[in-house]
Amino acid sequence: MSQTVFAPWENPEEEPLIRFRNVTKRFGDFTAIDDLTLDIYTREFFALLGPSGCGKTTMMRMLAGFEAPSDGTILLSGQDIAPIPPNRRAVNMMFQSYALFPHLSVWENIAFGLKRESQDREAIAARVEEMLRLTRLTKFAKRKPHQISGGQRQRVALARSLAKAPKLLLLDEPLGALDKKLREQTQFELMDIQEKTGTTFVIVTHDQEEAMTVASRVAVMDEGKLIQVATPDVIYEAPSSVYVADFIGDVNIVEGRGTREGERIRLDWAEGQPPIWGTPRGALSTDRAVYFAIRPEKVSISKEKPADRRNMLEGEVVDIAYLGNISTYHVQLANGQMMKAQTANTRRLANRDITWEDRVWLSFTETAGILLEH
Amino acid sequence: MRRFSWFNATSLTLGFTFLYLPMILLVIYSFNASKLVTVWAGFSTRWYGELFADQEFLDAAWVTIRVAVFSSTIATVLGTMAATVMVRAGRFAGRTLFSGMIYAPLVMPEVITGLSLLLLFIGIGLDRGIFTIVLAHTTFSMCYVSVVVSSRLATFDRALEEAALDLGCSHFQAFRLVTLPIIAPAVISGWLLAFTLSLDDLVIASFTTGPSATTLPIKIFSAVRLGVSPQINALSTLMIAIVTVGVITASLISKRAAVAQARDEQAAARATA
Repeated sequence: MSQTVFAPWENPEEEPLIRFRNVTKRFGDFTAIDDLTLDIYTREFFALLGPSGCGKTTMMRMLAGFEAPSDGTILLSGQDIAPIPPNRRAVNMMFQSYALFPHLSVWENIAFGLKRESQDREAIAARVEEMLRLTRLTKFAKRKPHQISGGQRQRVALARSLAKAPKLLLLDEPLGALDKKLREQTQFELMDIQEKTGTTFVIVTHDQEEAMTVASRVAVMDEGKLIQVATPDVIYEAPSSVYVADFIGDVNIVEGRGTREGERIRLDWAEGQPPIWGTPRGALSTDRAVYFAIRPEKVSISKEKPADRRNMLEGEVVDIAYLGNISTYHVQLANGQMMKAQTANTRRLANRDITWEDRVWLSFTETAGILLEH
Repeated sequence: MRRFSWFNATSLTLGFTFLYLPMILLVIYSFNASKLVTVWAGFSTRWYGELFADQEFLDAAWVTIRVAVFSSTIATVLGTMAATVMVRAGRFAGRTLFSGMIYAPLVMPEVITGLSLLLLFIGIGLDRGIFTIVLAHTTFSMCYVSVVVSSRLATFDRALEEAALDLGCSHFQAFRLVTLPIIAPAVISGWLLAFTLSLDDLVIASFTTGPSATTLPIKIFSAVRLGVSPQINALSTLMIAIVTVGVITASLISKRAAVAQARDEQAAARATA
């Protein structure tokens, strides 16, 4: 039996929860968000990814109500949210610094938002208990924020922002302060909680692995513009530009002249070198400079010339990065171009036959790489 | 162990002698049995008894305390408001001028502050008395409160207020429920500072007072002009005691809180590791 794939963005009848319509935000002379249009759907886990200063935090602060757009409108459930102050929005935010109230206990922190709605005491207590259970904090309810660990503080911040059952939860670099191990573990907890509560999550992060792990869709941003919005696998396998390919993961870029031959593109990239065969992404205008992008793990490395690969390039091993589970070989091709090839270390290090200054063959299929216009 | 150094010991002794010798003398002579201030005639608490029997001194003390409580409370409210605006408002035209104007009374000679207030009170026909002293003290101690509170607010995480707004607070609720409890130590020490300033002010009080209101410093000053009496020594000793106890209490409270917080944070860090 096949499971229904969650992809509301492909359904034209689905009403988006959030619509950015030609939103521009300027701070003085600086344009933080530049004429941006974006739809985010109910129950999505949407990641805004980009380097610092790309405008991702500004987008989040506009959703929370701390900033107003200079131009354009933001709709939440079809309603323009510009005139609604932050305390009246069905949107809650988890802050990067967590912003836990230091003078209140964990219990009081979580109850803080509920008390503002003047619910009766029993309803508040029941909701707080539920949140404490969800985030496994029941034992720490009476502690103050400085009496618990960083990971626990992170969960208090999450519980507090979820307590009011917002339509939309904003997470500003939620795991930035945690160490790597804890961060990976917490990513799965976040996904689990998102699924359990059915809340729409928008997460801001500069960590591409985090975005890839948690998100249903990722928006890659740069200088106030959306560069590509797609599912993590499309972003990785079929980036729309060199910028995206380079930002997400590791990539080899080869510049050359592309010529269409049937379904494939032939890339002439250096004198006296065999051409590279690749697959274009959509229509590709030929006879101009194009970029061939290929992930290092899709490049095979061997000492003998492989028999039946369409793309084969010869070079010399310059550097080997040993990461335990995988190794990355930096290979210099005939014209000085560097190319990285990655292999899983399925055998012990002592049995490895490729070493520094070896002549090697790099090979890949004609669908492994992608050709990009810019 | 650090080696003993004659240079350090001498510097320390000189410094502390300079600071505290006059006060120590005053305290010792307040227990003098003799009526002559400079002649020691044995230990006695006689002057303390006479002090408490003197209605004029008691009246002056009562005036001083009322003035200090009212003026420091009003100054704390106004000073905190000013500090909040200055730290929060961000950049606007004339911001530097405004903040400069808040702090200017810190360096203004007291004589000038007192004189200008006196002229104002005469100009608007206000009867001089406790009320005018309270106003005057509020005016100059407010900027001290503002300095103390704004230095605390400068390190205050703005996200805390945003979190409160995000969770449904109005701006006023966010201030009352989150900002104020967190900056409370600074507000309290601002209040204590204003209280102390008001307690020992002579110059501004003597400009702005009327015949109905004599504060302790005015009383002491005028009494001393007729000759130093051991009663004054006793009164001064009491004031030193009150101020010392107040300062030690305040610093102990804040130090205890800091130590407890550091201990808890270490415990939390160990729990994580």
